[in-house]
Amino acid sequence: MEEVDRIIIHSLRSIGCDLEDDVQSLRQFGTEIIIASVVQCLKVIIGDIDLPSTLPPGMSARFRLGASLANNVQDLGYKGGDLGYQTFLYSNETEIRKIFMFLVEKLPKESSQAADEPMGASVLLLRAISTELSHQLSLAWSPPFLKDRGIRIRSKAPGWQREGACCLQHYRSCHISTPHSLGNISTKIPKELSSYYKTHMPFVTNQTQLHRDTAPSIMETNALEIATQQDWENEWNQIGLASRLSQQEFKRRKQERLLKMIKDRLQQDSQRQDRGEGHAASSDLQQILNTIETQSKAGVIKTKGSRFAHTEKLQYAKDEEKTMSQVGLAVPAKDTEEELEKKRQEEIEGLRSELLNLTAQLEKLDIEVKKFSANRQQMEEVISTEAKNSEEKNASYLVKKRTLDLLPEAEANIGKLQSVVDTSAQRLLNLAKQWETHRIPLIEQYRELRQLNSKRESEAQKKLEEIKLFRVKMKETADDARRKDELQKQLVSEYERMTKDVNRSAYTRKILEIVANIKKQKQEIDKILLDTKSVQKEINSLSGKLDRTFTVTDELIFKDAKKDEAVKKAYRFLAALHENFEQLIQTVEDTGVVMREIKDLEEQIEVESNKKVLSNLEKITEDLQQMKKENATLIAKVKGK
Amino acid sequence: MELAATVLENIVLAGDSAHISDKLFGQLVTCACQGIVFEENRNVVGDNPAFKDVDKAILKAVYGGLVSLIVEAAKHDSNEQNISTILEECKFTSDRINEFNKIFLSQKPHLQLLLGKISSSFPHIVDVDWRLDYYIKNNNLEKIDSAVYLVNLKTEIPDEKELQDVQFSCTLEQLQDLVGKLKDATKCMEKIAQV
Amino acid sequence: MLLIFEDSQKDHLSFLADLDAEVLKEFGKISLNFIRKGANTKIFQGAAQKLGVPVDTVQHGVEALMYLLTESSKYLLNEIDFQDSIMTLGFGDETRSSLLALYLEHRREIRDILNEMSLDLPHYHNLEWRFDVQLASRSLRHQVSPSILMKLQTMDGDKKEMKMLQTDPVNLVHITRVLEEALQEMKSGYCRRITRNIK
Repeated sequence: MEEVDRIIIHSLRSIGCDLEDDVQSLRQFGTEIIIASVVQCLKVIIGDIDLPSTLPPGMSARFRLGASLANNVQDLGYKGGDLGYQTFLYSNETEIRKIFMFLVEKLPKESSQAADEPMGASVLLLRAISTELSHQLSLAWSPPFLKDRGIRIRSKAPGWQREGACCLQHYRSCHISTPHSLGNISTKIPKELSSYYKTHMPFVTNQTQLHRDTAPSIMETNALEIATQQDWENEWNQIGLASRLSQQEFKRRKQERLLKMIKDRLQQDSQRQDRGEGHAASSDLQQILNTIETQSKAGVIKTKGSRFAHTEKLQYAKDEEKTMSQVGLAVPAKDTEEELEKKRQEEIEGLRSELLNLTAQLEKLDIEVKKFSANRQQMEEVISTEAKNSEEKNASYLVKKRTLDLLPEAEANIGKLQSVVDTSAQRLLNLAKQWETHRIPLIEQYRELRQLNSKRESEAQKKLEEIKLFRVKMKETADDARRKDELQKQLVSEYERMTKDVNRSAYTRKILEIVANIKKQKQEIDKILLDTKSVQKEINSLSGKLDRTFTVTDELIFKDAKKDEAVKKAYRFLAALHENFEQLIQTVEDTGVVMREIKDLEEQIEVESNKKVLSNLEKITEDLQQMKKENATLIAKVKGK
Repeated sequence: MELAATVLENIVLAGDSAHISDKLFGQLVTCACQGIVFEENRNVVGDNPAFKDVDKAILKAVYGGLVSLIVEAAKHDSNEQNISTILEECKFTSDRINEFNKIFLSQKPHLQLLLGKISSSFPHIVDVDWRLDYYIKNNNLEKIDSAVYLVNLKTEIPDEKELQDVQFSCTLEQLQDLVGKLKDATKCMEKIAQV
Repeated sequence: MLLIFEDSQKDHLSFLADLDAEVLKEFGKISLNFIRKGANTKIFQGAAQKLGVPVDTVQHGVEALMYLLTESSKYLLNEIDFQDSIMTLGFGDETRSSLLALYLEHRREIRDILNEMSLDLPHYHNLEWRFDVQLASRSLRHQVSPSILMKLQTMDGDKKEMKMLQTDPVNLVHITRVLEEALQEMKSGYCRRITRNIK
């Protein structure tokens, strides 16, 4: 009970009850203290409650206070027996302890709960939601025209809350640019660009058409750049590093590859189209191909006007001429409406037929052109084969001419040729020797270099692997750091929440003590139980022995009793002896029972005396006297009036 | 919070006292916050004579960097610590970091209000009017004798100044049903608020 | 109050007065069917042949009966008024009571049909709600803004209409309170006095 009392007193102190330092158990509680503590507990549990925390002097007021306390405690769900004013005013220890145990349990325990469970993110979120909601619910409503476009300003973070929708806008963004690479001295900024930066470029917040699109545009620009960067990094890590090119080189090659791919694709498609009908489209494509080519070969800048461009120009020129002439015609001739109409009709007819003619002609010409170009190709091929033929023939002619020249002085010439051949053979040998002397060191050098190269290559490979590893590690560590940062933040907020939760350790200590005590008590109980059991066993064995001895003696003596008178007497004595002893045992047992009863009664007496019945009775009679007096004075007053 | 390379580059420039003096830095941050929040201030840096001696290209770059940082920090609800980490990486002195934090944190509610407005929503009920009629008869029927409520929910629609009405009629029982459901919703919220 | 008939209607109705109770019941059934589903003139031919009277007479009889039933339902005549109204038309006791029974039995239904025909405003049908908390958006992370999403169904005639609405806690509490007051108003002394006096 001491432990319980200590915990109760500790909790009472922690909620602000004014208790003396030397108060150690509930036995020391007077009516004053009990009332004050209960009122304090109720105030903490229920919140706003209108009760005086000191005992009022008037008896009837006291009675009312006691009754309302009892009501309040019962409203909280107290189920430990009947509760009334007497429980508080004429207290007994056990009941008061029960009530305080109940009240202490009911005390709000935010801080201790927070300490018990680890705070997950979801709990934090739930808490944030509930505080936000309770704050909003506590606000008074105000009509929409009193709010600034549905926004209410408040003191709690984030300083505002939305209670309408008319202020909302869509997420619309547009391109925004800022000067860049200014801090980097190694990159040169062209003069034109820097002068644009200086004089014409608007500030970032001034670039969008509508100011309200500024923030989305800024976010979008930032996100775009990050995404591009990430994409590039991924590609570089996966393909770029393995190709062992510099970044610029890699980018350049990729661009070339892409352009080539586009070109091929377009060429294929245009060829397919050529076989069909669209002429204009294919020449259009031709133009695009041309520009791509010029772009990729940055040297050639001038584009040749394609056939399409030329024809187009011509056609437009013709049209313009025509319209001009029409306008010229229309001005002088101010005829009647009908005539005009007729003329127009005629003109249109004429023009239409002309157009038909022209298109027919054009088609014809087109076909001819095609034919001619095909012819030309053929002819070119023929020319080239002919040229080849003639070249071959020229060469064979030269050889033949030389031999023919040599024929007349065959002997001399053969000798000459022989000597020439000999000298050349000699020279060849010489050269071969010389070459051998040069070759050997060169080959050795070459081998060495090759070895070196391969070594270096393998090293580079190794380093590449390492770099890759490091990159992965870097990312991992960065992630780790971020995660840990978050965790730390969460823990810090948790820690801030868990302020002044001092009594936790006190509680645990006490609980541990209680557990130890209980263990000790259990051991003692076990010991006593063992003792009782062994005593019981002894008693059993003794009574068994007694029985057996008695029956044996009884038989022995009974046998002899028939023959001998003295033995008969002895037998009778034996029977009497046995009976007497049985009575004795009975008496001993009875005493045991009585003793136990006495103990029970003593305990009951203690309990009763604990209830302070006598003193309470005295108090009650006193209070009754006082009440009677009060009543008498009141009656006197009434009568006096 | 992630920032693009050019943005970081421009923030580094902002931290360099060779470009922006300590005296101007605070003003620049203030201008950046105002330029984001208020339409009339969108060109406030350009109009401010205090910056006339700063190289315009640098000023524009620095301003752009700070604006991006401020918007992103407000978007992610960054606290002093997060911002300090970023600025330290951009070689800011601790004085400048403190100054930035002071100005930014004081402006954060306004910035977040601005960002919170970029959103969408169903029509939002802001008020309700009602009228109680006693329906007596019509051309087909006499002695109808029942109460009819005309309920008018006033709603706000995104990006429109005028309130729009949602009107319907209901009998006493239907109104009881409606009110019951609304009360349910209110109770549900109160319960959540007490957790 | 009493119904007032024109002379031609009286003529038409008096034809009914001469009929047997059984036949009159049949006429009543036909009239009710017509009120429910619209007229079907084919029936008249057969009935006229059976009774040996001109088709016109049968038609007028049925129409007059329909008129009697709808008119008395419209004014919600009580038993006595109904009986008094047809008293003068020469109905016998038996036919009168069978007409009365017919009227009383189907009054509710006829009134419902008439009610459907009358002008109606879009009226409340159902409301569903759910509680949301907006935690983040594209442009602002880390927010906690609670809202209540509502689906309001209204009926306009047979047409069901659906509207999505939303509101915040403060406004929800407000509209709940205002509408609750509206409900309370119906119980106020003033409203009760008026309803009592009109009935």
